[in-house]
Amino acid sequence: MPSSTGLPNRVIPVLALAAFVLVWLLNLGVVQPNRIVAGAGYGLFGATGWLGAGIVSSLLFVAVVLATKPIRNRFWVLSFLLTAALMSLPLLLEVFALRKLPADSAYARIGIGAGFWCLAFFLALMLLETLSQLKASRRLQLSVVLLVAAGWWLCAAREGLSSLSLIREYANRADQFSQALTVHLSLSLGAVAISAVLAFGLALAMVRRERLRRPLLGLVSFMQTIPSLALFGLLIAPLGALSAAFPALQALGIRGIGWAPALLALIAYSLLPMVRNTYVALMEVPEPVVDAGRGMGMSERQVFLQVKLPLALPVIIEGVRITTIQAIGLTAVAALIGAGGFGTFIFQGLGQAAMDLVLLGALPTVFLALAADAILSALKFQETPR
Amino acid sequence: MIELKGVTRRFGEAVAVDNIDLTIETGEVCVLVGSSGCGKSTTLRMINRLLPRTSGEILVDGEDINKADPEALRLNMGYAIQSTGLFPHWTVARNIGVVPTLLKWPAQKRDERVTELLALLGLDPETDARKYPHQLSGGQAQRVGVARALAGDPNILLMDEPFGALDAITRENLQQEMLRIQRQLNKTTVFVTHDIDEALKLASRIAVMDQGRIIQHDTPEAILRRPASAFVENLIGKGDRGLKLLALRTVSDLMERHPEPRYSEPGSDSLNESDSLRIALSMMLWTNTERLAVLDATGAEVGIVNREQLLKVGA
Repeated sequence: MPSSTGLPNRVIPVLALAAFVLVWLLNLGVVQPNRIVAGAGYGLFGATGWLGAGIVSSLLFVAVVLATKPIRNRFWVLSFLLTAALMSLPLLLEVFALRKLPADSAYARIGIGAGFWCLAFFLALMLLETLSQLKASRRLQLSVVLLVAAGWWLCAAREGLSSLSLIREYANRADQFSQALTVHLSLSLGAVAISAVLAFGLALAMVRRERLRRPLLGLVSFMQTIPSLALFGLLIAPLGALSAAFPALQALGIRGIGWAPALLALIAYSLLPMVRNTYVALMEVPEPVVDAGRGMGMSERQVFLQVKLPLALPVIIEGVRITTIQAIGLTAVAALIGAGGFGTFIFQGLGQAAMDLVLLGALPTVFLALAADAILSALKFQETPR
Repeated sequence: MIELKGVTRRFGEAVAVDNIDLTIETGEVCVLVGSSGCGKSTTLRMINRLLPRTSGEILVDGEDINKADPEALRLNMGYAIQSTGLFPHWTVARNIGVVPTLLKWPAQKRDERVTELLALLGLDPETDARKYPHQLSGGQAQRVGVARALAGDPNILLMDEPFGALDAITRENLQQEMLRIQRQLNKTTVFVTHDIDEALKLASRIAVMDQGRIIQHDTPEAILRRPASAFVENLIGKGDRGLKLLALRTVSDLMERHPEPRYSEPGSDSLNESDSLRIALSMMLWTNTERLAVLDATGAEVGIVNREQLLKVGA
């Protein structure tokens, strides 16, 4: 075992202390008479009573002790403890609902307070620090994330949490939710796929002809500077005119609003990071390596496929990663021009002042972006020459 | 045999190689030596068509190289460069096997060849083969570079300052290896360097280049004894020319050989058969002796070198 694990860890106590202060100061949850009225907030003690407050506080205390005392295998114990705590965190809300939700009101619901989010956030940071102390493999990190996700999934399915406002909003829109997921994914991933092909072609053209570099990079950078909302709006008029002029396009569903302008705008935004990374990656393959490849008797095609492309791949994947995260976020905005996706819930929620509906759109968007980040980072790591 | 006839290469207005004629016989090591920018690398890179020539003719075994397919031409010419150019994403074994793979050798033949070359270059076929280039030292990487150049068993070897970036001791070692391998394989070699000592050590003939022209093309001894111009004289250095001449020959060339090997006293001052005459002289000066015993590889005394004779050779 590395010697550093014997020393007291400073990060985890600080995080635990912050979590402790915030979870006691802020509201753990809110009881709302219906979906729009603000409702009354409850702190940790008020929401969960002695038992809940005691469990949370002693968990944080145990984490501090484990982090600072030279106990054998303490980081393993700590990671086990924190994973279990994060998995079962929604149970706090269930206890809250059980204690405070008026039984006689059909519309009453509970909302999640800042205290709960803070606790979840700081526990996650502590778990991250623990895993990095353990020098955990990617596989272990991934299984921890999947365990926590599964825990929350199981908790959300329980009867006791059906009064949770977020879940009520979901229950009302289960069909729309799965449709939004499909639309959101196909729009953002479709845009990434199409712009990846385009960007690869453009980058290759720039590598072949130095003259093209400035105008092409200028064009894709310029597209990036247009505010996204404006670009969505700007595309309505020309696409509307096009589809009016050609009924065939209309039959395909290409109109001034909807998926077509959204897809075009998303592709336009995706081009810059993708073109730039692909171009830089191909240009930065060391000259002597290429020279050696040619000198050995490789054809230009073999030099490209066996030497340049494999060496450029990690940086190209990095471009795809940045672009995918960006496209998933932007697709939420595209709901404004009727493209669908999770943005629909966000804008509906804003319009109705129903914050949990906003969350129903925002949380899955964040989750999709994080998932894309994790998957593409893993891929990049695998492709990096050792 | 490689023949360059009136070969010129221009980059825009600048003339890099100016109407040179050069013949490299089969099995000889021709070293192109000169300061940077003299056109020696350009000349080398025209031989495997990495650079097109502006005018003139380059023949390999009588055939104009422009008539052949450039890839096929290069597959028959081993190529090693200063920065090694090893493929960083491939293991050492795969790097060495690149030309056999391009030549579509069967996998087993290729693997045997890789193992053979690792052993020839003093690398461990078990552990080193699985390493990646960044795990190698500079000297090891260059050994892999040379092994890769030899892998396809080419008739011709082109080497562009292959040892230029190495420290003095590693370079010395690799030069020794080169001499040993060359004695075994007898490849027609074109070797580019800016280091005149490296040239004198490795070359069967040296071509001194300056400003795109060949100033002198001759054996190391002739270059030392009869430099064609002030430039060549400067390059070889006036001061220690005599010592450089001595360095060209080994003790075994000059020694008075005993009729049969004798037992020698261990620990007494003596020379090895493969030592140069320069080392012999240095040793005599240091120990202040007229005569030194010469030992063979087994440690038996096989002859005697004496100072008077040695000094005659140097003149």
